[in-house]
Amino acid sequence: MSESLLGMPPGRVDADVGDASVTLTVDATVYPLPAVYAAAYCFIARCYVLLDRGDGDTLRVVLTGKQPMDAAALRALVGEFGNELLASAWRREITRQNRGLIESVTMQAFGGAMGPPSLDDLEAFDFTDEPFDDPLGIAQSWEEKYRKPKPAGDPEAP
Amino acid sequence: MRLQFHRTLYAGTAIDAALGRFAHLANTRFDRSETPEYFVVEVSASSPARSRAVAHELANFALGLTIEQGGPDR
Amino acid sequence: MSRPMSATAGLDTGGYPAFFRFRELPGGRVVVTSIEGEWIVLSPEDFRAYVHGTVDRQGELHRRLVERNLVREGYDARRAGETYRRRKRFVHSGPNLHLIVVTLRCNETCVYCHASRADLDAVHTDMTIETAERTVDLILRTTSPHVTIEFQGGEPLVNFPVVQHIVEYATARNRGLGKQLEFTMVSNLALMDEAKLQWLLAHRVQLCTSIDGPKGLHDKQRKLPTLSAYDAAQPWIARINDAYREAGLDPTLYHVEALLTTTKETLERWREVVDTYVALGCRALFLRPVDPFGFAEKTRRIVEYPREDYLAYYRRAVDYIIELNRQGVEILERYAAIFLTKILTGDDPNFLDIRSPGGAGIGQLAYNYDGTIYSSDEGRMLGAMGDPTFVIGDVRTSRYRDVVAHPTIRAMAIASNLEGQPDCVDCPYVPFCGTQPEHNHKTLGTMMGRMRESSMCAVHKGIQDFLFEKLATADDETLAILHRWTTIRPREHFLQPAGVSAIEPT
Repeated sequence: MSESLLGMPPGRVDADVGDASVTLTVDATVYPLPAVYAAAYCFIARCYVLLDRGDGDTLRVVLTGKQPMDAAALRALVGEFGNELLASAWRREITRQNRGLIESVTMQAFGGAMGPPSLDDLEAFDFTDEPFDDPLGIAQSWEEKYRKPKPAGDPEAP
Repeated sequence: MRLQFHRTLYAGTAIDAALGRFAHLANTRFDRSETPEYFVVEVSASSPARSRAVAHELANFALGLTIEQGGPDR
Repeated sequence: MSRPMSATAGLDTGGYPAFFRFRELPGGRVVVTSIEGEWIVLSPEDFRAYVHGTVDRQGELHRRLVERNLVREGYDARRAGETYRRRKRFVHSGPNLHLIVVTLRCNETCVYCHASRADLDAVHTDMTIETAERTVDLILRTTSPHVTIEFQGGEPLVNFPVVQHIVEYATARNRGLGKQLEFTMVSNLALMDEAKLQWLLAHRVQLCTSIDGPKGLHDKQRKLPTLSAYDAAQPWIARINDAYREAGLDPTLYHVEALLTTTKETLERWREVVDTYVALGCRALFLRPVDPFGFAEKTRRIVEYPREDYLAYYRRAVDYIIELNRQGVEILERYAAIFLTKILTGDDPNFLDIRSPGGAGIGQLAYNYDGTIYSSDEGRMLGAMGDPTFVIGDVRTSRYRDVVAHPTIRAMAIASNLEGQPDCVDCPYVPFCGTQPEHNHKTLGTMMGRMRESSMCAVHKGIQDFLFEKLATADDETLAILHRWTTIRPREHFLQPAGVSAIEPT
């Protein structure tokens, strides 16, 4: 049975204490889907998370306790989810703005830590793996691309 | 218990993968169907409590896989 | 890099300030830092003049601001780039710190340590010779020219033959590699004997121990079945320091280092803790708060405390340490030394938990007794508590490059880059600070963490507030003491003899 939680805006946060669940209605123009995903991902170890579309530009996030939870525990859960959601949305924007700096430091850190591949590493490399789709045949050799098809019936024809 | 996964939020491949991982569960049935908006999974187990628990775990698993692949299938 | 400029959004700055971040100190002064870590502490009036661009261009304040590269006109981009690169130079090589847990068995029982120990009969938690050799093989593949192998436990002396084998095997394998190889052992010293000590001294293994304060407090937190843990350690600390002196080594540089864990009971006993360390001949005291790893919720309530209580304790203790230095006693506080080195020298001491990106995987690795590889010792402790998030390989099957570029390590490097953290991007301490994904994961449920809720952030901010206030207000003698704490003298005696050619291990 749906009820409001103390200190939480009804309609935005509705709880079903008997079911140990709480439903948040999230404005997707404020909290974009990747931020909702990021916050949800952090919580799937602690509770059950189900996402749905709500009215207009809203998303519905249902958090359900893995064990019975009282109203105070649900309030704490939804409060923490709200904090994580805000942090995720803000982090996404910051990461976009500082992408160049973050990428450059990260690339140098991994380049520095990994070093060049050794012969053992190259030996273990799977060169048969298709690196990417090549519909235009850009990676094909000239001979492969333009050679004449072999006559029908040729057992070696490709 | 009936689960509805919105097509713009969940990857169908993730739901299939989750169903694959849960298929071995004894005395549990998963009926998959679709509507224009949702992937629907009906979970039936030996008791309502077990149906509920399995459905929740399945939903978490599908959400985790969806997020790991970056969202719904394109 | 538009974020911190929002600090002046909507203000008429007259185009005066260059890129800056700021924070008001508890006393009302304002710390201003640049992206590369130049800094100044301003009075509220001077800060307003700086922000509004009304600083007298002929005055002393303008001269100081220009000197610190904080003024847009004449901004020296080349200098900023070089300073930034110098601060981040640790990114150019791989893990230099390698922690090996040679056994989980331990003779002591500590109130804050459950997951990291096993009883003395749990011989199955001893590392084998074969696992030890594979561990060393992997360690020596690091791209870092400096390698420190740190023996931990459990109590490493319980599995001393494997410690000996690792030292001998690694030293032999390093001949021809030319890495600067060092060994450190963290031991409670209760199982030390003269033969072991002579072997450790002969093989230049640096010795560290744990001292939690005066005898009563130490013994309450670290229990030996029949003896006082303090009485078991203290004579060996003195004996080892004597041995260094007898070998002609400078006692100000060569002495037993001790580690402190601050619990709730330590907080009121800051003076006794400092006095104990001084009496033991220690030259450094690391006022570490208790970490959240390795103990149960019930224990947490006994040993944990609010971080504001910790910061009050920290300030009292460091003020007392400074006072002792004024009286001629040479002892430093390690947190302060780390931050002051970054703040005052523009260099980075590469303390792996306080850098951006953090050191997990790309600066350090931890190896459990069974060969499992973790991002760090904290990751290993979480593993021991049943959380395998930070497992990144196995010494028997993993390749070095796969370990350091493991998806978990990649995620941790991104998560610990402060330029992507809410709050950090607006914080003036970002050039000097760091966060630890394992700590965030344990305390906040996400590697990224939320800094406003992070106890680690509260500690780092509080310490830096204290230090900047000191730098702004201290007399010359105190400033000289703080500068002295940033002097890093290498302990070259502990470097293992090695060949000079630099060929890759096979």
